[in-house]
Amino acid sequence: MNTEKPVFVPVKELSYTQAVNELEAILRLMQSDECDIDNLTAYTRRATELLRECRGRLTATDEELRAILADIEK
Amino acid sequence: MDAAALTLLQLNQRIAGLLNVAATQNVWVVAELSDVGVRGGHCYMELLQKDPERGTTVARARAAIWASNWSRISAGFKAATGQEFATGIKVMVCASAAYHPVYGLSLVISNVNPEYTIGDLVRRRREILVRLQSEGILELNRRLAMPEPALRVAVISSAGAAGYGDFLNQLYHNSQRLRFTTCLFPAVMQGERTAVSVMDALDTIETEADRWDCVVIIRGGGATSDLIAFDDYALAAHVARFPLPVVVGIGHERDVTVLDYVANLRVKTPTAAAEWLISQGGRALERLRRIGGELLQSLTDRIAGHRTQLACCEGLLPTASGACVERSASQLRNRVEALAAICSQRILPQTVRLDHLADSLGNRAMSAIERSRIKLDGKEALVAALSPEATLRRGYSVTRVGGMAVRDAASVPSGTRIETQLASGTMISVTE
Repeated sequence: MNTEKPVFVPVKELSYTQAVNELEAILRLMQSDECDIDNLTAYTRRATELLRECRGRLTATDEELRAILADIEK
Repeated sequence: MDAAALTLLQLNQRIAGLLNVAATQNVWVVAELSDVGVRGGHCYMELLQKDPERGTTVARARAAIWASNWSRISAGFKAATGQEFATGIKVMVCASAAYHPVYGLSLVISNVNPEYTIGDLVRRRREILVRLQSEGILELNRRLAMPEPALRVAVISSAGAAGYGDFLNQLYHNSQRLRFTTCLFPAVMQGERTAVSVMDALDTIETEADRWDCVVIIRGGGATSDLIAFDDYALAAHVARFPLPVVVGIGHERDVTVLDYVANLRVKTPTAAAEWLISQGGRALERLRRIGGELLQSLTDRIAGHRTQLACCEGLLPTASGACVERSASQLRNRVEALAAICSQRILPQTVRLDHLADSLGNRAMSAIERSRIKLDGKEALVAALSPEATLRRGYSVTRVGGMAVRDAASVPSGTRIETQLASGTMISVTE
């Protein structure tokens, strides 16, 4: 049984592709029997963090959107 | 002398008259267009013939299409070829030589055969494609993997172009709020300078290639479309070798240029390019949503699984201790029984053997005693047989003098008192 605490690279240092691939890997891990219940929280937190980062990179906030559109329609 | 000289006008009129023969009228001629321009409804141009090897001009003539023919000819030409009647393309025209006293020689074009131009364009395109193929670069850009999502977009277009505006509008008003980053690398998008200008823009982008996911080449829409500028070997090779995927949206359905063959992706319009990028981003978002959903699901499943397991344990716990004790006890009983079995198995033969030994020991002891007894009995008989009493009983007697047995008669003087012992009784006598 793997009881070591998983070590993660800070999300900001990952490329989008790396982040999505890691997400998929965590997903596979959670669906397998390998996942240690002790690390479930850590993995879930990591996955949430990755999801937020990926989505953040893909989509703009209202404020940014307004700024961009204002720029175009000048 | 004065009468012999012609006025210039007279000479020019004479030249004009000489030209006006069947050999120079309504002749089909092939040439390349140059400096095409429309002024006052008339179309003026230069017709060129170039040396196919060196590219140098070997023939040149001014030409015009009068307004009365121009609208018909230009519309028909564009409808048939998909091209403007414009500089750089090869044409077959029906021309008549005309000599104007002031403006000199020019060719008046009354008709154009678009089939020739179509054939020429097709041939040119094919030549470029064959060359790219033989150089092994035709599919280089097409084989590049488009990053998913491609959100950082370098745009090559002309700043004022309607198509560019459409593209940006579409991109930034996407309903999914995809965060695109764009930068315009301006280029001339029509006319002779197009290819060089687009290549310059590509070079600029290449110096900062790591900032961009892809390049989009779009053209400013509108009716004017001389796609011939994009059927350029150097430009096509440039795009083919470009390190980032290139999206081309320069024409409409029917206008396929060499660029459309070499680009990573070809779309019909700038708007379509934007739509494609948005759908790509949408797919990435969809993937995230799916992963998020699946994560949540597997997490829930996992926790539910563990919870069930715990509940199961909880249910088993009360009976488990009793069962455990019972199990131990039964185990112990089994062992005792096993032990007993082993003991009896081992000891019984030994007992039998001991019993056997005891029996034979008794037997042997008895027989030993019997033998001794018989032996003793024999000895007793012998003793009895040899005893003096037995001798006496057989008639012998013992004569003693003074208690000592007499073995020699001579040793007894006469008159000695002797004592004779018989088997029964004793006689006393005196010797003579």
